[in-house]
Amino acid sequence: MIHITINGKVVQAKDGEMLLTVIRREQIDIPTLCHHEAVEPSGACRLCMVEITKPSWDGWCDYVTSCLYPAEDGLIVNTHAPKVNELRSSILDMFLARHPKSPEIRQLAAEYGVMKTQFEEVVDGDNCILCGICTRICDTMGFKAISMVGRGHGKEVAPPLNMAPAACVGCLSCAKNCPTNYIEYNMKNGGLTIWKKDFEMIACTECGATTITKEFAEYLSVNRDIPFDYFEKCDACHRKELAGTMGRIANWDREARS
Amino acid sequence: MKHNFDNLNLIFDKYPKTQESLIAVLQDIQKEYQYLPCEALEQTSEVLDVPLSKVFSVSTFYNSFSLTAKGDKVIKICTGTACHIRGAKLLQDQLENHLSIKAGETTEDMKFTLEVVACVGACAMAPVVVVGEKYHGSVKVSKVKKLVKAK
Repeated sequence: MIHITINGKVVQAKDGEMLLTVIRREQIDIPTLCHHEAVEPSGACRLCMVEITKPSWDGWCDYVTSCLYPAEDGLIVNTHAPKVNELRSSILDMFLARHPKSPEIRQLAAEYGVMKTQFEEVVDGDNCILCGICTRICDTMGFKAISMVGRGHGKEVAPPLNMAPAACVGCLSCAKNCPTNYIEYNMKNGGLTIWKKDFEMIACTECGATTITKEFAEYLSVNRDIPFDYFEKCDACHRKELAGTMGRIANWDREARS
Repeated sequence: MKHNFDNLNLIFDKYPKTQESLIAVLQDIQKEYQYLPCEALEQTSEVLDVPLSKVFSVSTFYNSFSLTAKGDKVIKICTGTACHIRGAKLLQDQLENHLSIKAGETTEDMKFTLEVVACVGACAMAPVVVVGEKYHGSVKVSKVKKLVKAK
């Protein structure tokens, strides 16, 4: 265990633990767009920037992305120093220029006082900030169906060969974790379409509500030992069943006591 | 376009079947077919046990890889600073007119592909046009047609 100072408060941390993890544990709110605790940090969005210094640095300080900076003993961290706030607003200013239509970016920028970008707005741009959270999550899930394609201003997230990816099971982890809700999918008539691939959803045997895609259920039952029929009931019906089970247990208890 | 993919196995046999071989294999495929055919990428992914998405990511990252079929001869017009100043744009216009294609495209008979590149490192001979493997220096607008006389 080591000790670091965050905003004047001395806190404990594990050696080598990333600063952002410690900061979040202390319930200090700093914005991030590309962070997800389940995947490797990548430092893409730059918003988790903090000011760090040490008594031995002779008054100097440094500005680092806390998601990628390992905690060291004696480090003094300031998460909302004036310079840090300034850096964050200029980063958000640039985000706003690239993605002026994104409600998520606009809201975050507004929180940092950036109502309108000082740069020229990209008119025909999209809302993908290229943070790579979708590709990293897809890798972690084990499907590796999508990846970063191209580079420079032509860089984008895409399935291989720009065709429906064979490896995708329609788990929706990419779309649901996208910080700007950019990844499109269409769920209707018991089906799902994402990345130009069509899936059939499993319908709940009790109420008919859709649960997850057949491919995803098969993957989970084969690779994660979750029985396939678990997915043949929706969340609501699972809970109803659970209530019934709990009721029976309560009855047994009552009978046992009497 | 149909290809004979028997040669792919010869390429795969040259390298250890690990993800570290990916770029070397792709370079050989590019050399063999002048581009990276989809089937070849799929086979590479299978043989090297690298997800197809990663193979595609690498293939699109490097400019030396192409995913579309190229002509027999690739004409590269250098538009680096020195060549730009010495009239690379005029050469480009002339070649585009002559071949009736735009930069980045291939002629219908699959003979020529016209490309615009940043710098080929021969600034002293600006403007430079590279046809196939051959470098042509101090190219004049009037000389340009001769470079593609095969057409």
